[in-house]
Amino acid sequence: MKNKRVKKNRGLTKSGPLLLIAFPGILYLFINNYIPMFGVFLAFKDYNFMKGIFGSDWCGFQNFKYLFRQDAFVIIRNTILYNLVFIVIGTILAILVAVLMCELGTKSRVKFFQSSLLLPNLLSWVVIGFIGFAFLNADTGFINNTLIEFFGGEKIAWYTTPKYWPAILTLVYLWKNLGYMSIIYMASIAGIDKSIYEAAQIDGAAKLKQISHITIPMLKPTVIVLMLLAVGRIFYSDFGLFYQVPMNSGALYDVTQTIDTYVYHGIMELNDVGMSAAAGLYQSIVGFILVVSVNALVRKFDGENALF
Amino acid sequence: MRNVKKIFSVLLATVMIFGLVSCGKSTNNSSGEASSNDVTSTEKVTYDKVVYAYATFNNIPSSEVLNTVEEAINQITREKIGVEVELMPIGIADYSSTVSLSLQGGDQIDVFESLGDFNTSVSSGMAYDLTDIIDTCAAETKATLSEDILASCIQNERLYGIPTYKPYALTPMVIYKQEIADELGIDMSQVKSVEDLTDVLRSVKTAYPDMTPVVPAQSGNPNMVLLVSDQIDYLTDDYYSPKGVLMDDSLVVADLYNTTKFEDICDLMRVWYEENLILQDAATTTSTASELMSSDNTFCYVASYSYPPEDTAASLEAQCGGNKLGAVQIGDAYLDTTSINALSWMVASNSKVAESALKFINLTFTDQDIINLLIYGIKDRDYVLDADGYASYPEGKDAASVDYTAQLSCGTLGNYFLMYPMSGTSKDSLVWEEEQNQLAAKSPAMGFTFDSSSVKTEYTAVSNVIQQYLPSLLCGSVDPDTVLPEFRDRLETAGLGAIISEKQKQLDNWATGVIGE
Repeated sequence: MKNKRVKKNRGLTKSGPLLLIAFPGILYLFINNYIPMFGVFLAFKDYNFMKGIFGSDWCGFQNFKYLFRQDAFVIIRNTILYNLVFIVIGTILAILVAVLMCELGTKSRVKFFQSSLLLPNLLSWVVIGFIGFAFLNADTGFINNTLIEFFGGEKIAWYTTPKYWPAILTLVYLWKNLGYMSIIYMASIAGIDKSIYEAAQIDGAAKLKQISHITIPMLKPTVIVLMLLAVGRIFYSDFGLFYQVPMNSGALYDVTQTIDTYVYHGIMELNDVGMSAAAGLYQSIVGFILVVSVNALVRKFDGENALF
Repeated sequence: MRNVKKIFSVLLATVMIFGLVSCGKSTNNSSGEASSNDVTSTEKVTYDKVVYAYATFNNIPSSEVLNTVEEAINQITREKIGVEVELMPIGIADYSSTVSLSLQGGDQIDVFESLGDFNTSVSSGMAYDLTDIIDTCAAETKATLSEDILASCIQNERLYGIPTYKPYALTPMVIYKQEIADELGIDMSQVKSVEDLTDVLRSVKTAYPDMTPVVPAQSGNPNMVLLVSDQIDYLTDDYYSPKGVLMDDSLVVADLYNTTKFEDICDLMRVWYEENLILQDAATTTSTASELMSSDNTFCYVASYSYPPEDTAASLEAQCGGNKLGAVQIGDAYLDTTSINALSWMVASNSKVAESALKFINLTFTDQDIINLLIYGIKDRDYVLDADGYASYPEGKDAASVDYTAQLSCGTLGNYFLMYPMSGTSKDSLVWEEEQNQLAAKSPAMGFTFDSSSVKTEYTAVSNVIQQYLPSLLCGSVDPDTVLPEFRDRLETAGLGAIISEKQKQLDNWATGVIGE
């Protein structure tokens, strides 16, 4: 009897302080991520200020209808394709940069390159949008006035010519995010046991062999985790990238419009809370399904690296 | 040793929690103070507190300055209507979203303006039904405004707002640089139509090849739609995104984009674009017309103003880099429901002091001191009044350096005709403006407002299509021969037809009601 009680107490005294430490974090998560979940109601309501969230009338799936119209498919296509390109090219380049950084040697050199790669990540999209504008502006832009003039081509009206924009957006995205993405890979490379490399060296493996046979395989768990997280957000898009960088130019909507900007444009005028809640719910549900199914795939082929 | 660690971790945890709690407390404290202030003031006599949210085009003043203006207003309101007012100036760009988010979030805003969104404010239930309290709380205002002005804020026989009393009639004008016109010997008074304007632009371009003669009034909108027809009733749509309009006095809802007039404008804009007469980036530029006009290589823009041309030009000079400006009227004013209810004052539906709020609105329409405090701030600190009753900034100050001013919001707050005129304008203008209100042609659907809630889905889709195509068509940056048919197709798929027939249906119902009366 007495023994049991002591044991119980010890369990609490052991984890109690830890729980206390975690408590602020849990509280934050609860307030920030769980309480707002009640907003999900709004997606199915014909929201009226007077009646409030719970008093408003139910309207079934009425709020979702505009997301499934025929003309909305192009935006879903855009969102998914851009995200796929970003995930694939972004991961490959980030790993490449991380590997190269780790081979730079001197600390000061690494610090220099790392900082300069990170710098764009600290700029806001508005600023980047205007840097882009300085390059692409039809009248006074850098590209039209120097590069194209120099090579003697025809001036291009960048902001009304859709065909260049998939490339421009990908480029801008990579320029801004590459430094940040590579940091995580650098951290996991730094975590690889140095003795493995030494052993390989003794066995006569050259630098390239070391990278392809040690570094890359050791990065696999990190890649998978990051991929899973990215796939979960495949229905979301970086609003700043798709809104600010093309200067919200209508002529480019066919290639720059994503779910977020579409919802923004449509709802700006109607000011309908229910419809934006519906878009948010739709994005989360698709993201959730994708994460679970991709994780199931990973579990099937490579059990130990699955997230859950 | 183990124990020490344990004690430390408990300590750490407690410290962190207390840190958190005290963080929470400090914010609590400040709001607590605010409310305790209220308590002390309410202890003497109970005053309802009304929060008045208005859009300002000027700098937002600091809270100390705002308090002084509030206090000056409160001295009047406490006595007259037993109300204390809290001013909440919001920058024009954020106004609509801030107000709607605050109302959703349960923050107190009692009075707000609809700012172009009359229908949305009503259909989303933001606006209080004023029908039953207007006679008791704002009888003077009702008397000041005529019946048909108030009618523009009635939906389903209930009154939801009070339109600002101001010159409603917007007259399309060309605002141009006087010096350039003089130098090239162009007689701008001969410009009567958009075709005349084209010739002027060409001669400016020949004289100054580096110049961009026309700039857009807003991003993506050189305002040429104004010239499609003198008489367009947008049927309560946003001016920049019309979906089904009435044209030329008929009561048949028309698809603006399917008219030859619209096609002609697109073609003309394409010509302007190809001849470099219009800013090449007009469809995407984020610069305002006044910024663009401040630079040396621009000549004019087209916009609608409710003041006489001479006054308009004079009042715009300071914003446009101090260039001497001229203005010439190129169309006639036209009044539709939107031109009146676009700026109407509403009481928030969740306001606990709706009657007091309406009483305060009433004062902004009837009390000269209140309206001038709101617009110009405190006399002799923020503005001076000369013997003839014209207001100007104190010696050595201007709109940017003075403590408080909302001068650019004039004509959006309450009763414009009670405001002191700015020096530089003439009191004759007021006569002109009143006259325009009377003379302007009125839409046959005056007083009709459209309720978009049954076609929400189509509305969203059509808005997107219009934003995609309209700016570049109106700025000439795409070829109308190929793009216009595409635009029409997309509008059709997006459901413009459904919106138009719904509009027609509501309009017909409204018309029978009016005739029935």
